Amino acid sequence: MHVEIHFTPDPIIAPPEALPSREIGAAVEFRGIVREMEQGSALQGLYYEAYEPMARAVLQKHFGELAVLHPCAAVIFIHRTGWVPVGEASLFLRVLSAHRGEALAFLADAIDRLKQDVPVWKLVQAP
Amino acid sequence: MTVLAFAQARDLFGFGSREVECDPAETPRGLLLRLKPDANLSLLRVALDCEFADWDQPLGTATEMAIIPPVSGG
Repeated sequence: MHVEIHFTPDPIIAPPEALPSREIGAAVEFRGIVREMEQGSALQGLYYEAYEPMARAVLQKHFGELAVLHPCAAVIFIHRTGWVPVGEASLFLRVLSAHRGEALAFLADAIDRLKQDVPVWKLVQAP
Repeated sequence: MTVLAFAQARDLFGFGSREVECDPAETPRGLLLRLKPDANLSLLRVALDCEFADWDQPLGTATEMAIIPPVSGG
């Protein structure tokens, strides 16, 4: 499976869709967007901090395990770091597979695992 | 050893990165309680060289320890 993991301080721009084969039948994308209300308070944005070397290692492990459960051809993961204003995406995921079921399941499980143990944090203000 | 503290852990310990002298037989719990004796580690996890570790395992040959508060990416 083709895996790309990126952390960037810049606004996320969806990469061009390059299909690795003619057997790709499903391309599923997700963008997580910063909302104004966080725990009852109106915010201007959120600050994201990542322990990047470990986050990359943990994501690689998760994606490898998920590829066994839900065989897919490719996953592209992009997470913002630093300040992200309300309305902008903090997370982008694209999964390619032959069939929609695997891509949708991979995507959902990948986001669940991100929130379990991948060392990324959102803060209401910059440190 | 380099000790890294992220997010809420940085506020708790008062540093983001710090060089600390340690013995290979010392544990992450022992090292952090030496730095801050009243630290509550119950909600924190620890990583050695980018892998989750037990609070009570020896530091061994690790060169970097990270204090990992509950994650909240996405």
